Amino acid sequence: MQNHPSRQSDKEIIRRIIDGDVNSFEYLLNKYQDHVLRIVTKHIPYNEVEETAHNVFVRAYQALPGFKQEGSFKQWLSAITVRTCYDFWRKQYRSRELPMSNLSERHRDWLEKTLSSESNLSFSEESREKEAGELLDWAMSKLSAKDRMVLELVYLEGNSVKEAADLLGLSVSNVKVRSFRSRKRLERLLTDLIST
Amino acid sequence: MKSLDHKLGVLKKILCQAYHGKENVEVGDQWQLNVMRRIRNLGPVQPGPSFFMLFEQFVWRLTPATCILIIVGAIIFLTIGFFPDYDVFTLFINDTEELSLAQLF
Repeated sequence: MQNHPSRQSDKEIIRRIIDGDVNSFEYLLNKYQDHVLRIVTKHIPYNEVEETAHNVFVRAYQALPGFKQEGSFKQWLSAITVRTCYDFWRKQYRSRELPMSNLSERHRDWLEKTLSSESNLSFSEESREKEAGELLDWAMSKLSAKDRMVLELVYLEGNSVKEAADLLGLSVSNVKVRSFRSRKRLERLLTDLIST
Repeated sequence: MKSLDHKLGVLKKILCQAYHGKENVEVGDQWQLNVMRRIRNLGPVQPGPSFFMLFEQFVWRLTPATCILIIVGAIIFLTIGFFPDYDVFTLFINDTEELSLAQLF
């Protein structure tokens, strides 16, 4: 009699998948789909999330034999997810399929109104507005795919440089340099925006 | 009038909140079915890493070091004047009496 999947550890499930039981992958899919979707949603536009998450699980399945059993599967899957998001942006930047977002008069009006507001308490409300998200997209689109991912992981999500380097598969020094450079670039962009 | 630094700080805070305020995307059963259909179509995974994975892991990682090594080697050879073909050729030209083809084999 087979054990119920939920009573087995990830490692046992992975062993079964590698041994040829393809259907056992459904257990990993059910268990980690929310985790993967949470990461993908942060980095990728909404209309591309489903397809990117789909690709994450396909990549994870194909790479399963390379999973080192001493590590955590969740951490390993997170790295695959982040790298798939990075690949998404790399492809987009190369093919320029996504139009470069431009700031309209509406965005500038919103920015002026928000920054001239005397009460800091109102910021949390206003920041939820669509314009804030679009402004962020505009600023991020000015960075390279790698700088974008580094900036999001280190400054927006609060990961350490080491964690970001592990997730992206880059060296710590590379991430350190990129995070500093991309933050400065973003600050320059925003400063120009405010001062014009 | 508020300073530029203050405005920049406020704007960064707003953008950070906008980033964290992104709503999660809910996927339905159909999405799961599609993923599992694709996985089943791929068939069982290979127990060992494939040739292409190994290629990606090792060969591409060594590419920058190999390029640097080739450039450094080329510079060294050009600097010390190491041209083996030229040296063999001059040997034939200058020492025709002692060195014959028979001696080479």
